[in-house]
Amino acid sequence: MARVVFDNASRIFPGSTKPAVDALNLDIPDGEFLVLVGPSGCGKSTSLRMLAGLEDIDGGRILIGDRDVTHVAPKERDIAMVFQNYALYPHMTVRENMGFALKLAKIPKEEIKRRVDEAAQILDLTEYLERKPKALSGGQRQRVAMGRAIVREPQVFLMDEPLSNLDAKLRVQTRTQIAQLQHRLGTTTVYVTHDQTEAMTMGDRVAVLKDGLLQQVDTPRNLYDHPDNVFVAGFIGSPAMNLIEVPLIAEGVRLGTADVSVPREVLSAAASKGLKSVIFGFRPEDTTLGEGGVPITVDAVESTGSDAYVYGHVDIPGGTQHEVVIRADGRIPPRAGDTISAVITEDHMHLFDPSSEQRVEA
Amino acid sequence: MSAVAADPSAGIPEAKKPGRLKRSWDRYWYAWAFITPVVLVMLVIILWPLIQGVFLSFTDATERNVAKVIGGRQIPATYDVVGLKNYVTVLTSSTFWVIFARTVVWTFVNVFFHFTIGMILAIVLNRTLRGRSLYRALLIVPWAVPAFVSTYMWRLMLTDTGLVNSVFTAVGLPSVPWLSDTNWLFISCILVNIWLGVPFMMVALLGGLQSIPTELYEAAEVDGATPWQRFRFVTMPGLRTVAATVILLGSIWTFNMFAIIYLMAAQGQRNDIATLPVFAYDLAFTGIRQYAMSSTYGVLILSILLVFAVFYKRALAKQGEVW
Amino acid sequence: MSAETVVHEVSVGEASGKKVRRRDQRSPLASFALHFGLFIALIWSLVPPIWALLTSLKPNDRAITTQLVVFDNPSMDNYKFVLTQTDLPTWFLNSVIVAAFTMLIGLFLSATAGYAVSRFRFPGHKQLMWSFLVTQMFPMAILIVPIYNIFARLGLLNSLAGLVIAYCTTAVPFCAWMLKGYFDTIPIEIDEAGRIDGLTPFGTFWRLVMPLARPGLAVTAFYTFLTAWGEVAYATAFLTSDAKKTLAVGLQSFVGQFKTEWGYLTAAGILVTIPAVIVFLLVQRNLVAGLTAGGTKG
Repeated sequence: MARVVFDNASRIFPGSTKPAVDALNLDIPDGEFLVLVGPSGCGKSTSLRMLAGLEDIDGGRILIGDRDVTHVAPKERDIAMVFQNYALYPHMTVRENMGFALKLAKIPKEEIKRRVDEAAQILDLTEYLERKPKALSGGQRQRVAMGRAIVREPQVFLMDEPLSNLDAKLRVQTRTQIAQLQHRLGTTTVYVTHDQTEAMTMGDRVAVLKDGLLQQVDTPRNLYDHPDNVFVAGFIGSPAMNLIEVPLIAEGVRLGTADVSVPREVLSAAASKGLKSVIFGFRPEDTTLGEGGVPITVDAVESTGSDAYVYGHVDIPGGTQHEVVIRADGRIPPRAGDTISAVITEDHMHLFDPSSEQRVEA
Repeated sequence: MSAVAADPSAGIPEAKKPGRLKRSWDRYWYAWAFITPVVLVMLVIILWPLIQGVFLSFTDATERNVAKVIGGRQIPATYDVVGLKNYVTVLTSSTFWVIFARTVVWTFVNVFFHFTIGMILAIVLNRTLRGRSLYRALLIVPWAVPAFVSTYMWRLMLTDTGLVNSVFTAVGLPSVPWLSDTNWLFISCILVNIWLGVPFMMVALLGGLQSIPTELYEAAEVDGATPWQRFRFVTMPGLRTVAATVILLGSIWTFNMFAIIYLMAAQGQRNDIATLPVFAYDLAFTGIRQYAMSSTYGVLILSILLVFAVFYKRALAKQGEVW
Repeated sequence: MSAETVVHEVSVGEASGKKVRRRDQRSPLASFALHFGLFIALIWSLVPPIWALLTSLKPNDRAITTQLVVFDNPSMDNYKFVLTQTDLPTWFLNSVIVAAFTMLIGLFLSATAGYAVSRFRFPGHKQLMWSFLVTQMFPMAILIVPIYNIFARLGLLNSLAGLVIAYCTTAVPFCAWMLKGYFDTIPIEIDEAGRIDGLTPFGTFWRLVMPLARPGLAVTAFYTFLTAWGEVAYATAFLTSDAKKTLAVGLQSFVGQFKTEWGYLTAAGILVTIPAVIVFLLVQRNLVAGLTAGGTKG
């Protein structure tokens, strides 16, 4: 078990000038479950592979347990990895697959058997130990891949989208199992996914990447409540946060024809930066229907049973419109064509600088 | 280490860290170790003879003046470098151009029939059909028979009183001098080579057909495409890569085909049906051994093939084929 | 086909008088045409070997007659003759030796290189791939003369070892090319998993990739074997003594300037062909995949 540090770690692919991972700084304390999340091509898998030693590091350092592993071969790093397609050895049985690394490390046979049996017990694989991967279902293969990582008792687990080949239901189940298992073993884990729900539900902390740059790293709650910039605000949460560029006025902002009052401290922070307008953000769930709110024309309503998501628009004087989404009670949803008034909860408003796209903090 | 320094992608230019060379050596040394045996062998048994061959084509080497061992005594080579003389001689002789034209005809006709027949058979075999795998296995037999045996099998059937002429006579057709007349002999060679080459095309194209997803056909059908349109807009684009590859391979193999022409003809006839490789071989190993001339032909043949391959690749690239 | 689709959509009960044909069925006439076409193709493919087989069973001096005779006192006499009275067994053995060694050396040398070009993007990668490709274009005509002269100096003419070396000029790049195609089909994550599990690059190659590429290795091996088995040009030029000849050269001695010993020739030809055909039918399916894969992913 160990702390993992990315210290200005960069990766530039040969033939490219733009770094795939640009000076990444991350400090992952011992035992933490850290999730790397971002859209495809953001560098999250590359970062993980740099940590694994499968990708060269062109700048900066990587530490595992206070040891500089920047130029250390994968096998010397004391890590285990779960691959997206599992990468089970097709010509070996489940037992051989799980014990292979131990065998290479010249661990005594009885010890290997004990550890494999134990892992198989935990993962409910005991009856499949003598089968080849071909004879297993997708979920079982996924568990074998997990088992292969567990038996090594490494300092760090690396997981590269390990759930993306499972069907939706199994994915939700396995998600909890992995999180529980990690808590039980207490092994530092770096987990890559493109799915923000997976990130939010599994991670102790979540690191959001975009274009090779770290956007924010924080607990799921803080990411949700205090996104550092427009990208994180839009990426975390589903449906996504409404983000609209609006002019600043004395008490707040003007959204369409309505004046929305904004907490004084935030407003003065914005004013002190000399901003004339801001990107105003609010989540669909941070609204209530009631008098004196922002008038919204309803275009469509999507009901999930418990909730209804109202897709509508705000008319801006001058003829333009802004799409917005708000959440309403699923039992008495508005209808398309209605005009409703949405009150935005003052505590959950987000203001961003339109030029830097950074959060305006009180 | 100099090889490392020569590589532009071995490290990023800005990173002026010491040990960069060491690191790219660390990164690649095993790749180079993996290829070393092959590279060494290819240098010794391919590149070295190739250089010698090119060199010989600039000399007047024949069996009389090359280095040899007679009765344990080393006799040194006495041939001279004559520059481009051989090339001038060859390229200004009508012999070369006649044989070149014949080789082009040989290659084109053969590959055309290989591809067309192979394609038809592949399409038929790609349908659900009773006994399909048996048909497939039996149709492959000509590929499996060694070329020299095939040639004898056909010679047996094509002799003046052989099976083919017997059948011809039986149905009232005139018998054909398949082997005795050199024009017919050339046609016979083509016949044998077609027989030999169709199975490869068939199997390759069948593989290509089977790799086209069924959904594409279903989508086309739902979109209202006729069978011809499905062939035109689903099958043909789907086969492009495979077809491009097999036509290139087939052309090169056919161009270089030796056994059939060499073994079909009696010695006296060979000059009249020889393609470039056979002619070059005969220059070196039949009658007075004209090594220099043969090498000149060899270099020309290789150049022709390379030019063909480059143009072929360009043509494909122009149509957006990543290959 | 569109007509068939329409028919298919009408339920069976409603199809008044019109015959209902399921999607995967075709008319008897079309079926007959297909089978008839295939039958013609079969005749075309199989008559030469069958006729050779029949001829090999006839008495040697009556192999070719003016009338069409299918059976004429069938016997194994020609086979007995070529196996006992000629050098055929020696040639056979020589061919096996040459082909086997070509195969082993070709595979052994090229496997690691095929793996390297499939997996690593090292400086020189492109040039190596390119040289594998170009050497396959090499006409025998450009190498045979210099190799002949080099061998003459080294005393390697008229020796099986020399012939193996000559065959390696095509076998080595060919095997590397084929194997590269097969290695490409093994997911690279397998290698990465192996590296994380503690294997060296050599260990990954030897313990993971080679076992997984076994079908590809087998196909490449057989094909290399058969290519050497049937090679004519080098063998004819290099081998001069009866004791050293391979089948491709030896069989030429049954073909005289004026008279061909058809009975013996066909018997020998059948003996040469049978093992080749059996091997071929076993591996052909995988063969083409390998040949064209190298080209498309190159």
